Amino acid sequence: MALKIKVGLIGLLDMLKFKNMGKDREATIDAASNADIKASFPINQNAKRLHPDYQDLVIDRIKDYPEAGAKKFVFKRQGGGNPANFRAGQYLSLKLEIDGSAVTRPYSICSTPHDATRNGKVAVTVKTNPGGFAADWMLNNFKKGDRVIASGPQGQFYYEPLRDAKNVVALAGGSGITPFLSMAGAIAEGAEDFNLTILFGSRTLDSILFKTELDKVAKASNGKVKVVHILSDEEVEGYEHGFISADIIKKYAPKDEDYSVFICGPEAMYKFLEKEITKLKLPRRFVRRELLGVTKDVANMKGYKGNPDATYKLKVHQGTKDYDLEAMANETLLVAIERAGIKAPSRCRSGECGWCRSQLESGKVFIPEDTDGRRFCDTEDNVIHPCATFPLSDCELTVPGEYWN
Amino acid sequence: MAKKYDAVVCGAGNSGLAAALQLSLAGKKTLLIEQHNLPGGSASSFRRGRFEIEPSLHELCDVGSEKEPGEVRELFKEFGLKIRWNECPDCFRLVSKWTDTGEPMDVTMPAGIDNFINKMEEYVPGSKPKMKELFELFQEVLDTIYYISSSNGNPDSNYMKEHFPNTLRTGAYSTKKVFDAMGIPERCQNILQTYWCYLGVNLERLGFVHYCAMVHKYVSRGAYIPTYTSHELSQAFIKRIRELGGDVWYNCRAEKFLFNGDKLCGVKTTLGDVECDFALPNINPDIVYGKMVPKELVPERQVKLANARAGKYGGRMITAYFCMDVPAEELGISDYSIFMQGTADSVEAYKGLLEGGDANQFAIFLCYNIANPKASPDGTCICSFTTFASPNDWNDLSQEDYFKQKQWWAEKFLKMLKEKANIDLHGHIEEMSVASAWTFARYLNTPEGSVYGHEASNWDGMMNRLQTLGADYPIKGLRPIGAAGPRSLGYSATYLTGQMMARLALKDMKEWEGGDE
Repeated sequence: MALKIKVGLIGLLDMLKFKNMGKDREATIDAASNADIKASFPINQNAKRLHPDYQDLVIDRIKDYPEAGAKKFVFKRQGGGNPANFRAGQYLSLKLEIDGSAVTRPYSICSTPHDATRNGKVAVTVKTNPGGFAADWMLNNFKKGDRVIASGPQGQFYYEPLRDAKNVVALAGGSGITPFLSMAGAIAEGAEDFNLTILFGSRTLDSILFKTELDKVAKASNGKVKVVHILSDEEVEGYEHGFISADIIKKYAPKDEDYSVFICGPEAMYKFLEKEITKLKLPRRFVRRELLGVTKDVANMKGYKGNPDATYKLKVHQGTKDYDLEAMANETLLVAIERAGIKAPSRCRSGECGWCRSQLESGKVFIPEDTDGRRFCDTEDNVIHPCATFPLSDCELTVPGEYWN
Repeated sequence: MAKKYDAVVCGAGNSGLAAALQLSLAGKKTLLIEQHNLPGGSASSFRRGRFEIEPSLHELCDVGSEKEPGEVRELFKEFGLKIRWNECPDCFRLVSKWTDTGEPMDVTMPAGIDNFINKMEEYVPGSKPKMKELFELFQEVLDTIYYISSSNGNPDSNYMKEHFPNTLRTGAYSTKKVFDAMGIPERCQNILQTYWCYLGVNLERLGFVHYCAMVHKYVSRGAYIPTYTSHELSQAFIKRIRELGGDVWYNCRAEKFLFNGDKLCGVKTTLGDVECDFALPNINPDIVYGKMVPKELVPERQVKLANARAGKYGGRMITAYFCMDVPAEELGISDYSIFMQGTADSVEAYKGLLEGGDANQFAIFLCYNIANPKASPDGTCICSFTTFASPNDWNDLSQEDYFKQKQWWAEKFLKMLKEKANIDLHGHIEEMSVASAWTFARYLNTPEGSVYGHEASNWDGMMNRLQTLGADYPIKGLRPIGAAGPRSLGYSATYLTGQMMARLALKDMKEWEGGDE
């Protein structure tokens, strides 16, 4: 039976109606106003405030912590307004121009979300480290009133109530305390709600970074924040001695409730803690690490078969521009790009965030497995994260553009 | 000196990828620029811990099997792209309420026309003859669309009358109107309405042709997803475009279109000016004509079109992603997709979505591993929830309240799943993320973060757009593509629009070259 469907009373009129669909559309358009097209929207403006291409900041205040070899840099926004809001634990990638190099460095925010949204301030703390040329450059050169370009807040190192246990045991070493100071402050001001026990490893009592701030925030937190200091280089009454270990974690972690472990500190601490954490038999979801900065010692990495002393030629394409530079085998491709003063995107410098995602056009590279945070199809297609990639030959690379100048 | 290209495609979303590849295949020197650092727009992925997460694709329409390929599989084949496809097992499970009695409904509909009709007969006894008639009509409608598309907007009306009389008689009406006129039982309509959300318009305002073409494709050909997220699709395009000599610049935004008199001559980008006679912005036309073309060159019709649409953008999304540390079966998950709807009346549901907050009783739950065992590492699975975001919830939200708002939705989704399907995800979440309207606005830069372009309804439906194809591109050399285009919104539709617009641009190029001689 041939199908014969009509919707109106007379099928022929239905057909005419169909034929006129285009004409109807033109008539509707013709009847509309010719006022200017609206091309900006609150949702987009909100999104831009939270996730700016970059933040144009100015140093408002510098606080020195000589006992810890550190300085806190408090920024406000150039031209007024608030810095972007963030989740306590997130970091800013600072974009620095040092002696012709264009480098980025990720620093956990140590101030609180309300500092940003209510006081217009955001702060990071930089600690001196041997051979750390950018850190020392900032410590020696940054002064009040300097302009500093930063990314928007980045990273996933924050408390997520549906995912994490209500009790978080923070394991901090050195300047790894910064994200936890922010979390503690966020709890005290009510921006976050969880129980935070910070186990903080320092060398000596006198060299503890943020000792006063931590005491203050613990007091203001209504019992939600606790701080335990562990001193490696001296025994002091009332303080734990040694390194953060499974035993110490067990001692301070809740006995009858679940807890998550958040870790932030120097590489040596991660290595030491690996075994200790295993002893705790925590489910994987309850162990979170902040990785900022990839390990530099390529020669001793698992699977490395290159010559770490070699120097290679590196061709870089970015939009309409092409560059010829040198890349050292024992440095990541990102470092070579930065040294040439090319402004290319990077944020976490740990292979994880993918912000520096680039196309390897030719050449051989070494990508350490531990910090290979690439998408699966990218691994099949010579797409690399230069921040966690070392050259094994001359290479040619196409890098993304950068929005800041 | 500025670089010169035959064509510049702005935006590597689906339409942009398809357009750039079509142009490259024709031997045109093509530049594809993308504001983000990877291709795809929504068709992408992101990493969290040991997981790679699909941000947007639920099920790709019109792929079809090797033996009976659909338009999309054919397109990928024609483009020379190899994709690892996985078939989604059923059409959907729908948990809602029957509109006639208000009693709970929980139906699972299989793929395949006969299976679908037979299952419908089980839920709605006596519906078989009507359903058969309906699917017969669906097929005719689908054939009509293929015909009109292949005619590039110039169909022959006598041919249409002879071959597609039923399409012509139903094509100008809304889906609801045609269902009612055909006497489709109410309960069948309760089940048939499920897919409306994929087009973002309720069935009283959604053109019949548009809706039934989609339903028919899903039911007859099933749905597919790639093994390694939709980034696999997008990256396959990039690889091919580059093989053919095309350039791809990431983290690069088009800022303005440059004109010599009234003739397009280039694109101003954040990485410098580029010369070209043809530009295909995969950018909402409101932005193109409202911000990127000199005001004096914008034809009045485009201004009026924008105002006639009155800023009614298609779906804005909220999606929550959960990476679980146990396999699906341990959580009691056996369905690929569960549509959870407070009501099976699309008009009511749509109203709730527009209002937002508690009035929104709608979410689609997915577990990717049910269709794709490689969706996540062994012993784990990935799930997601999607609903529509109302501007009410996201326009005036403060920066401080934003994170709590996202958490509110995540909790709401988990609660719905527990209530509707007795599945509890609490206690096994290893990684999670919530994408809001702000998130989509951030990554896509579309108006209000919409992923559906302009609402494809009433006078601005797909059929209406196809019939006025010629009028929608008044500036020579400038052809906006994307979800606001003639094939309208959705994964497969935007690929097809990109391809169609590239073909039309190629036709223009040929004519212009001819004119120059």
